[in-house]
Amino acid sequence: MTFVAALIQVLGGLALGPLLVGMVQSSKARLQGRRGPSPLQPYRDLRRLWGKSGADPQPTTIVYRLAPCLVAACTALALLLLPIAGRAPDWSLGNDALVLVGLLALGRFALAAAGWDTGSGFSLMSSGRDLTFAVFAEALMALALLLAALPAASTDLVAMAAAAGGSSPWAEPAHWCAAAAFALVVLVETGRQPIDNPDTHLELTMIHEGPLLEYAGRDLALIQWSAAARHWLVLVLAAELFAPHWGGFWEQLGWLALTLPALCAALALTETAQAKMRILRVPGLLAGGCALALIGLASALVGGLV
Amino acid sequence: MDALESAAALGAALLVAGSAAPLARVPAATALAMQAVGIGLLGGVGAAVLFGAAPVGAGFRDGLEPAFGIDGLTGFFLVTIALVALPSLAYARDYLRDARNERWLLALGGLFLVSLGGVVVARDPSVFLASWELMTMAPAAAILVRRTDAEARHVVFVYLAITHLGGAGVWISLLTLAHYGALADPGALTGQGAAVQTLVIVAALVGFGTKAGLVPLHTWLPRAHPVAPSHLSALMSGVMVAVAIYGLVRVLFEWAAPVPLWVGPALLALGLLSALSGVLLALVQRDLKRLLAFSTIENVGIVALALGASLVFLHQGDRTWAALAFAAALLHTLNHALFKSLLFLTAGSFERAAGALDLDRLGGLLRRMPWTGGAFLLGAAAIAGVPPLNGFVSEWLALQALVHLGFGPSLGTGLAGAVAAAGLAATSGLALYCFVKAAGLALLGEPRTPEVASAVEPGATMRLAPFLLGGACVVLAAVSGLLLPTLAELAPGSPALAAHAGLEVPGTGSLPAPWLLVGIVVLTAFAWRLRGGRRADPMPAWACGQRVEPSLRWTSAGFTKPIVLVLQGVLRPVRAVEAVREGGLVDSIAYRGEVPHLFDVHLYRPLRSRALAAAGTVRRIQSGSVRAYAAYLLTLVLALLVLVRVGAIG
Repeated sequence: MTFVAALIQVLGGLALGPLLVGMVQSSKARLQGRRGPSPLQPYRDLRRLWGKSGADPQPTTIVYRLAPCLVAACTALALLLLPIAGRAPDWSLGNDALVLVGLLALGRFALAAAGWDTGSGFSLMSSGRDLTFAVFAEALMALALLLAALPAASTDLVAMAAAAGGSSPWAEPAHWCAAAAFALVVLVETGRQPIDNPDTHLELTMIHEGPLLEYAGRDLALIQWSAAARHWLVLVLAAELFAPHWGGFWEQLGWLALTLPALCAALALTETAQAKMRILRVPGLLAGGCALALIGLASALVGGLV
Repeated sequence: MDALESAAALGAALLVAGSAAPLARVPAATALAMQAVGIGLLGGVGAAVLFGAAPVGAGFRDGLEPAFGIDGLTGFFLVTIALVALPSLAYARDYLRDARNERWLLALGGLFLVSLGGVVVARDPSVFLASWELMTMAPAAAILVRRTDAEARHVVFVYLAITHLGGAGVWISLLTLAHYGALADPGALTGQGAAVQTLVIVAALVGFGTKAGLVPLHTWLPRAHPVAPSHLSALMSGVMVAVAIYGLVRVLFEWAAPVPLWVGPALLALGLLSALSGVLLALVQRDLKRLLAFSTIENVGIVALALGASLVFLHQGDRTWAALAFAAALLHTLNHALFKSLLFLTAGSFERAAGALDLDRLGGLLRRMPWTGGAFLLGAAAIAGVPPLNGFVSEWLALQALVHLGFGPSLGTGLAGAVAAAGLAATSGLALYCFVKAAGLALLGEPRTPEVASAVEPGATMRLAPFLLGGACVVLAAVSGLLLPTLAELAPGSPALAAHAGLEVPGTGSLPAPWLLVGIVVLTAFAWRLRGGRRADPMPAWACGQRVEPSLRWTSAGFTKPIVLVLQGVLRPVRAVEAVREGGLVDSIAYRGEVPHLFDVHLYRPLRSRALAAAGTVRRIQSGSVRAYAAYLLTLVLALLVLVRVGAIG
């Protein structure tokens, strides 16, 4: 069973991220009354990009060339920390939730540095915004993960996933607060509306897309893949920690297979129902999430959950 | 006298001789080598004691006869001092070559090292306090030897005034402890009642906190650290702060222990305030060295957070996490010493090469100075707290401690832990923002001035020193798991922990730093291979079809604008646009924007003006007239007679 988990961890992480993105896009199009692209469109985009040559804006250094590889590497490494259906093979990388957050930060560091390397105003404008959101998102993520770790008293993702199984966590208000807070984390990390609009073509409104403007070909494919893999990462994490699941490994795997499309549909629904927020309002939203998480923690501590 | 003791004595003697040598016209290289061997020997003995050898020299005494000794905690701080001092001394070789007053700077640098070592090896109050004062004076003298302009004199005045006012706290706390015999017998203070203990703790927090730069006692730090010569800035920011933390640890965890419950949360609050305001103010700086100094305040805040968590855990009886939080504080102190001194040394090289440290007037230095620039990039990544470097390791451990504090069981400490954990997470986000900005503006893009465009690498030892420190950052990240049990054992009453290659901490998913390091390198190399080398012809970056004009390049203020706008209620940015009109046409536009240092504006400036006003009032009684003075005397005598008559005195 651990072998199956390892297989899904690696193959699913490598291959299924773009499918999740495609599913969000196509269901969003349906909800908006368009026919839209097929869910497989991101794969076609990646194949097309893979066949093209990279760009070389002047003057750049190795920082620009290294950034896509580093982003892909730390995303891939983060995939290996993620338990599947409550199980994780031992890659001797540990399974710590906060290490996973750190690995995502490394990707941000690399992309923002690459923006400075090209000196392009659009990438710097966007990475300034991205880093501003990240300040609040990291605080929110720390609190949401703290709440999720509370029943297991451990930030080990395997233990956290085990403690989140069954119906007992849902009797605690803390779990609901944590789930709501983590929903905001999902929106920020996947760069979805109302935080960011992934479909925008207007440079002035870009957040996550801006730093990609100077990349082409395989560089761009690596970054696009990383963004898709980040969808997989946070959605699987949401499913493992905050979606209902019962039973042994195979049942949980079934639940995961059901939960992921449901979460994609929920993202599509949010995107359809919500307009993009004003950029300066987003930190307020995230701070609200932090307050909610603290209220959840207070209820857990008063109720004597631990 | 055993081998370690004689090695330590020899080291100390060499260090002192090496400091005096430049004044006797010994060549600079010889003097620096003597200092380096001396501090290296001391660091070696410290390492030996830290890793299990029996303590060297005397134990703590309450009397005033000088005594020296090295135990585990002293050993750790000696290692820290030596790890920073050795590259700094190497750097000083080329940095000070042919400088004005070179001999004096060499001697004062050595004296500074003597005083830093003196504080940690002191085993009685007299040596401790003498070294402490010397540690304050030596860099001040070095600043004045190098620069005599009004600004430098003002900075030194502010530095000495504030650190001496705060330093009174160190004297009060140490002498009170010695009075009750608490240095030799740490339990002695508990019998003296809460008032004495509170006095000692508050005095220590003020005294050591001022030197460490805890907000709101920090205001001297971002002024004084940048103006010192770079090799001394590195020692001030890296090591002097660490020595202040050493004092705080001794008082709170040893001499005044067990401390009352309020100290832990108070330290958490001070740490959170320091971490957040330090990094926010660092983020909005344009001067590289000033930015680095503010970031020192942030890192001291992180250390204080970990120490506060450790004290709370001690009160809750959780010995394992108390020891782990304590280890996190020590580990972060060491890590900060390494990467901060790296950044200060490379900043010194940039200043030498480009003539200025205004971030908006640098740029492109990675191509001009690949060695120095590469080291700076590594240091920036380490201090930004990204895995798998050492900054991440210690911040992760500190964050874990706060998260576990958040697990409860009591509501108050649980919420305090959670708020502190969120604050620390936000701090690391801000630090990443800050150091991406610093590295981007200094190293990447196009050179912004002709001087920067013609910058060249400095001399060999100035190139070597940052690389040694960068190597230490990587190695320390890889071996932190092996180091952790040793550091945790320095905490009072700590249980034994097993050593692992990674950080295998109970209640976490573990942080196997060496494997993460290998994983990231291997996967990046794999992605690099996979991508291949096919690229289109070079072309300029996209700017909507326009050429990127030098004056339109992104600036420090532009990059940080989003966070400044979001937090404008807290930061209160000042912005002034002035258009000069001539004959109905706008002739020129002057723009000024800055984020003021609000602690100066709202706390220190009113305090200073009140103090001056009070002094002015008091001065009125000094009229200069002999008759007035005779009247004062007469009044005094009469008042005394009256008091004696009514029996109040005598």
